[in-house]
Amino acid sequence: MTRLTLTFLLASSVAVTPLMAATANNADGATVEYRKQWHSDILTGYQNLATQGQTLASQAASYCQTPSPEGFEQSKQAWLEAFLAWQQVRFVDFGPVEHRNRAWQFQFWPDPKNLVARKASYLLKEGAPITPEKISESGVAVQGFPMAEYLLYDQAFNGSDSALPADHTCKLLVEVTRHIADNGQSLANDWKGFQANYLGSDQYTDTTIRSAMAGLEILEERRLATPMGLRGNGKRSVYSADAWRSETSLAAMGASVQGLKQSFLPAFSELLAERKQPDLAEQIAQQFDEVLANFPELERPMAPLLADDSAYKLLQSLYIDITQLTSLVNDRAAVELGVVRGFNSSDGD
Amino acid sequence: MHELTRRSLIKTALAGSAAITLSGCTLLPRKATGHSPQQYTGALGLPDNHFAVGAIAPDGTMLWQSPVDTRCHSGCNRPDTAQVVFFERRPGWAFYVFNSESGERLHRIEAAEGEHFVGHGVFSPDGRFLYAPANRYEPGEGIVAVYDSQRGYQRAHTFELNGIGAHQITMHPDGQTLIVGLGGILTHPDYDRIKLNLPTMKPALLMMDRLSGDVPARFQPSHHQLSTRHVDVAPDGTVYAAYQYQGPAHELRPLVARYRNGRYEEIDFGEAIHRELGNYIASIVAHPESDLVAIASPIGGTALIFNGHSGEVVGKASLPDCAGVEALVGGDFLVSSGRGKLVRMGKNKAATGVASMSVRWDHHLV
Repeated sequence: MTRLTLTFLLASSVAVTPLMAATANNADGATVEYRKQWHSDILTGYQNLATQGQTLASQAASYCQTPSPEGFEQSKQAWLEAFLAWQQVRFVDFGPVEHRNRAWQFQFWPDPKNLVARKASYLLKEGAPITPEKISESGVAVQGFPMAEYLLYDQAFNGSDSALPADHTCKLLVEVTRHIADNGQSLANDWKGFQANYLGSDQYTDTTIRSAMAGLEILEERRLATPMGLRGNGKRSVYSADAWRSETSLAAMGASVQGLKQSFLPAFSELLAERKQPDLAEQIAQQFDEVLANFPELERPMAPLLADDSAYKLLQSLYIDITQLTSLVNDRAAVELGVVRGFNSSDGD
Repeated sequence: MHELTRRSLIKTALAGSAAITLSGCTLLPRKATGHSPQQYTGALGLPDNHFAVGAIAPDGTMLWQSPVDTRCHSGCNRPDTAQVVFFERRPGWAFYVFNSESGERLHRIEAAEGEHFVGHGVFSPDGRFLYAPANRYEPGEGIVAVYDSQRGYQRAHTFELNGIGAHQITMHPDGQTLIVGLGGILTHPDYDRIKLNLPTMKPALLMMDRLSGDVPARFQPSHHQLSTRHVDVAPDGTVYAAYQYQGPAHELRPLVARYRNGRYEEIDFGEAIHRELGNYIASIVAHPESDLVAIASPIGGTALIFNGHSGEVVGKASLPDCAGVEALVGGDFLVSSGRGKLVRMGKNKAATGVASMSVRWDHHLV
């Protein structure tokens, strides 16, 4: 008897229709209005990245032309602004950012083998001219923010003979930041060109929601829980975080949440409201603000917070806020909308 | 045919020569070619974020679970023995040999230096040699690494594939030809799972002589980004390949190819079904008792059965994160999902739930 009931329940749950199929059954382009909004909001983020990337490249070129301590500090600041602009749109994992692994080009991470440092050392010792072609052929560990961060911030490197503004290092910084700027500009342009396909395929509604879900999961699990020692070997380690050299891991998390709020949440809230979930939409909006209320106080280096148990509480508080946000979006809202990020579908083979 | 009758038949077949064993294969689900009748093994994600390999009976009863160090992907049964092999997921640094009746771990064999496994393997019909596709990762060369199970799984041979991204391998019913899916995607373990050569991929379906390593046939899909990962073969020798398209999501391409009578052709299921498959197929299995073939797409949350000769879809179900497929005695298929569901599917009938478990099933059942 029990067994029969079980089978019946399972049989009915198999028939749950995913969003993609649901929209296909409804009038054509049922969710196109939301994609219009997402397209526009993400474009704003990409254009900001393009602008900040351009500023970074110009600043690096100008510093290397006339090196000065002030110019060095301004270059670091320009790196940070551009890096945070990237963090805001980092969740988008589909469309033109997939082209030639652009997302990886912007930020090669995680880097457990410290390829960034090894590649820098190799390029600088090799003595071969640093050209745009050299950067293009050297792989993603060379092409983005972590490489520029290494040249600007790495303590050991900054104490070495190769430290900025050494000629060869300057050349590398200029070309890497130029590569970032070019990628930012191409990405913004390509995203504009992607509009017709994005609006024309209902499946991109699911894809966009999944990308935000993945972004939140990576934020919670890999960017925060892992360095906090809540995963893996259980040891706290700032080296498991990204951007530890510039001590901006936490600021970057704040920027990513801010980016989701600006580029993802508006259309998502409307979609939830339209699916008769206005209360959930409101809860999610409030939880975004709860997470963001940890900042700017938490825009500080992560290492000291990991080293001190009472300071660690600040990280725990952020972690709890983020898990609640992730749970609202990835569990509750996703279930309401029939969007699944699965064991197999999210990382296939 | 009742199961008991089948089992008696298998035993008879196993007692005979290799040729008879093979003809037995053509009549029966390959599950039944090992000692364990009607048992399905898969890689598992556990609720505590640890990993295991587990075996189930057709009714969904978990027969055993054996812990492993990291997430596994697929494997193969060793003919005429109670052994099942499972490979770590790409980049796979080891494979495990289990007693398929008890789940006891018998061996853990590490990949050779400079190589990693890709999640799949198959045995020679006599159960002696294990053929494991692998990646020689510095030069990025696809190979088939051959292990001798009679010598404690020592490395016996290496066959070159002259291509990148070897993935699933299976044995043709002739007992001589290995069928290999060459995904075409270059990866390197230092670079996570980044696809390093999307513009220049050269995926292919390969036929390889299992003794010489010669590759007498190589077929290319209609687009260079149709990663030819998964393969299976019907008892009549018809070969099936399943693709994963690496281009933009809004482009729909063929996802299944068939090779028979000297012709390699792609099957078009029509636009509506292709949308439901999300450009990605995780498993393809040809039923040993019929002309039916089943595929599952976790991206599309869709599993379907089609007629191998006509390409007509004769059964379809929505099942979030479905991926694993195997043939059931009697003509149906068993489908597993990353959400712990096991579902029975058949021609022209509604899918029925078999079990719902707290484990997450990885891509394949064997």
